[in-house]
Amino acid sequence: MQTVSAVNLTAQLLLLLWATHPTMATNWLSLARMPRSRPVSGAAPCGRLRGLSVGQVGVCRARGEVMESVRKAAEMVIEECQHQFRNRRWNCSTTPRGINVFGRVMSQGTREAAFVHALSSAAVAVAVTRGCSRGELERCGCDRKVRGVSPEGFQWSGCSDNLSYGVAFSQTFVDETERAKGLSAGRPLMNIHNNEAGRKAILHNMQVECKCHGVSGSCELRTCWKVMPPFRRVGAVLKERFDGATEVRLSRIGSRTALLPRDPQVKPPAARDLVYLAASPDFCRLDPDNGIPGTAGRRCNGTSRLAPDGCELVCCGPGYRAGRAEVVQRCSCKFSWCCSVRCQQCKNTVMIHTCRE
Amino acid sequence: MAGAIIENMSTKKLVIVGVILLLFQAFSFMVGGLIAPSPTTAVHYLATKCVDSVRHHQSNKWFMPWGPNQCDKIRDLEEAMSRKIEANNIVFAVHIPLPNKEMSPWFQFMLVILQFDIAFKMYNQIEDGAMATIDVGLAYRDDTLSEWTEMAHSIEQRKLSCNFTTSKTYENEGRYYECDLLPFMELGSVAHKYYLLNIRLPVSERKKVNVGIGEVKDIRLVGIHQNGGFTKVWFAMKTFLTPSILIIMVWYWRRITLMTRPPVLLEKVIFALGMCMTFINIPVEWFSVGFNWTWMLLFGDIRQGIFYAMLLSFWIIFCGEHLMDEMKRNHFSVYWKQVGPIVFGSFCLFIFDMCERCGLNTHRHTHTHTAVHGLFLTCCFSTRGVQLKNPFYSIWASDVGTELAMAFIIVAGICACLYFLFLCFMVFQVFRNISGKRSCLPAMTKARRLIYEGLIFRFKFLMLVTLTCAAMTVIFFIISQVNEGHWHWGDYTVQVNSAFFTGIYGMWNLYVFAIMFLYAPSHKRYGEQQSSGDAGASGEDVQLTTTITHVDGPTELYKMTGKEAQE
Repeated sequence: MQTVSAVNLTAQLLLLLWATHPTMATNWLSLARMPRSRPVSGAAPCGRLRGLSVGQVGVCRARGEVMESVRKAAEMVIEECQHQFRNRRWNCSTTPRGINVFGRVMSQGTREAAFVHALSSAAVAVAVTRGCSRGELERCGCDRKVRGVSPEGFQWSGCSDNLSYGVAFSQTFVDETERAKGLSAGRPLMNIHNNEAGRKAILHNMQVECKCHGVSGSCELRTCWKVMPPFRRVGAVLKERFDGATEVRLSRIGSRTALLPRDPQVKPPAARDLVYLAASPDFCRLDPDNGIPGTAGRRCNGTSRLAPDGCELVCCGPGYRAGRAEVVQRCSCKFSWCCSVRCQQCKNTVMIHTCRE
Repeated sequence: MAGAIIENMSTKKLVIVGVILLLFQAFSFMVGGLIAPSPTTAVHYLATKCVDSVRHHQSNKWFMPWGPNQCDKIRDLEEAMSRKIEANNIVFAVHIPLPNKEMSPWFQFMLVILQFDIAFKMYNQIEDGAMATIDVGLAYRDDTLSEWTEMAHSIEQRKLSCNFTTSKTYENEGRYYECDLLPFMELGSVAHKYYLLNIRLPVSERKKVNVGIGEVKDIRLVGIHQNGGFTKVWFAMKTFLTPSILIIMVWYWRRITLMTRPPVLLEKVIFALGMCMTFINIPVEWFSVGFNWTWMLLFGDIRQGIFYAMLLSFWIIFCGEHLMDEMKRNHFSVYWKQVGPIVFGSFCLFIFDMCERCGLNTHRHTHTHTAVHGLFLTCCFSTRGVQLKNPFYSIWASDVGTELAMAFIIVAGICACLYFLFLCFMVFQVFRNISGKRSCLPAMTKARRLIYEGLIFRFKFLMLVTLTCAAMTVIFFIISQVNEGHWHWGDYTVQVNSAFFTGIYGMWNLYVFAIMFLYAPSHKRYGEQQSSGDAGASGEDVQLTTTITHVDGPTELYKMTGKEAQE
């Protein structure tokens, strides 16, 4: 009896501890850190994934094989974010370990958090769509809105494209944590809006391609389809939206709550714009409490004076110092379309600029 | 004196016939719009990168991207670098129906388009005029457990025309080029359930194979096939139309043979038009579901071409026969100047599409090879023809092939323009004669006036109907090109593209039907009252016999001339 009650107590304590841990909506990005050999699908492995919320674990158990695509999406998010922000003061740096990949920067509703949310929801849609196109997922595109269920539906009228499935899965998975918290608080509303903005960035940048294949190749019979944009392009589009993001605050309209611009002269944000609640901190100084690494030690571009990657702007107050270093680089490489590359090693002396502490 | 049925029909009957035909026309549009799905489907495939660890040149190892016997995969090409895998050991594998789906003979054809995803890197850019050499194998099987059987294997060359929209700097490394679609494969029939494509990009620096094609990240394929539902609706329509048109043809020919005089050129041409329509309607395609006949597409193109040629000739001959001038017509040879361009243009398109069955199994058309064959056979290359042997052949793949193809299309276009100029000129002549005759109509005898009025009415009616049909075809073609293909009205989805196909097909069938019905010779004799009429100039009557369909030509003429002789 006593052991049972002790076990119960510890279980409740653990639950309490887990509940008070700041559950970030972006914790699922920690999937990217797991070794590739570790399985992420199946009932038992799903329960052991620490970054997922309860609802997301449920999705994982129900649609097992999709989680491999979600892991790829997490890797894509980190890589793309670090590419887009490589020249800014906050360069999307990741914490050394833990389930909170980008650190406590994500806990305030800043522009950067808005960007990360939008990018992650877009990445899930893109990765699941690609998984469907590769045939890795069993049920794609033939689920709904088609006369008859597959395979009959496929024979009669073909299947709807995989992107609808990818977008729907992104809504189910990524928005799950926000919906669980309720839609009346400011941060969940902001996150849902930004997630949708990420998915819209894909949908508005699709390209239409057509092929004529009628009699003698004429355009009597023409088939058109939509092509998903490459993820680098989605990242670039979201970066533009980041630059033009709208600051909002939670307001009450009648019985509902909504996010309206803080400055009443600014027009309300469209579905594709990013919104944020709090102004971004100054990323210059090291601030471990808030998860800001500071710009000390960052490389910067000494030649471009006023560009965003120039040393004046990246290294804020303390300035920068220049140094020479000898690097061994590959040169005169013989490239093919992939893989083995035969290069020679060249020694070069380059100027390196780093920010001072 | 009587002519065709249309001249003797009261207006009320003509309107009833018109309304019935319009109802059938609306029905054929609705069948396509509401019952049939969209005509074609495009399915996206992304190739999975498999590793061929031991180089098997002769073995028949087929790499499956998913399922129980999956190949050893690499996720991206960076992993290939870290695992020290060479470019020649990477196989891009695509399984054509996605999991849990099957291909079906109802799909009629399969067209595959290839797109490369090539990333920009400063030191590995796409060179000008780069050619990608693709080593591709196609295999099939009919159930998920048996072995793969090879269907085709080829080494194809495709020209990469890619451009990079932003500036070529280090900042923009990693962005993708924008590349044109490459035609990859065309199968004339889908006889098996599962297909597997294994694509390699072999690299040889010594032979300059696949060097300078940038950094390939992914290969994307788009598979296009006709929807099974559309095929079934189309076959049903053909099966319904065939007996209808056969019945009207039998009826028409009986009316002609019942007459005592031999049939006129116009009647023969109308009958030939009916035969061409029957030729199109006969649903030979039903056999494609049971048998693996790859030439079905080519056969369908030929049938459509013959019908169009016959239709254009009919218009010219109809105009010529109604010219009402002094010339002696009624012979086909009179029309050689107009029918000539039709035949030549059709012949060019036919050769362009024609099957070259002379055992041309070549996979690579070098310039000399193409030149020799070009000389010998004048124009034997194909879209559909050589594809019967090698589904990966594309006439647009080589420069010489592209130029010859364009030349043939241009020649056919010139012939079409010449034809339409002739047609417009003839129509203008007819209208000029009509207005000329109109002015002296009141002065004629009643018999002759009725003949001319009949002729004029016949001609104008056919002009009106033909212009309406042609205008509807053009309008619907433009609508189907510019809009998305389906409209939503509340709960219903109207498939505009399918409605276009079934509607236009039904329309031309109804057109031929109407012509055969309305222009069949009439058995009514209302010439009795004229025989007691005024004594007209007998000389003119002799001219009219060649152009007008009489009920009993010689008898009538004899009556008139005999009467004059009496007087």
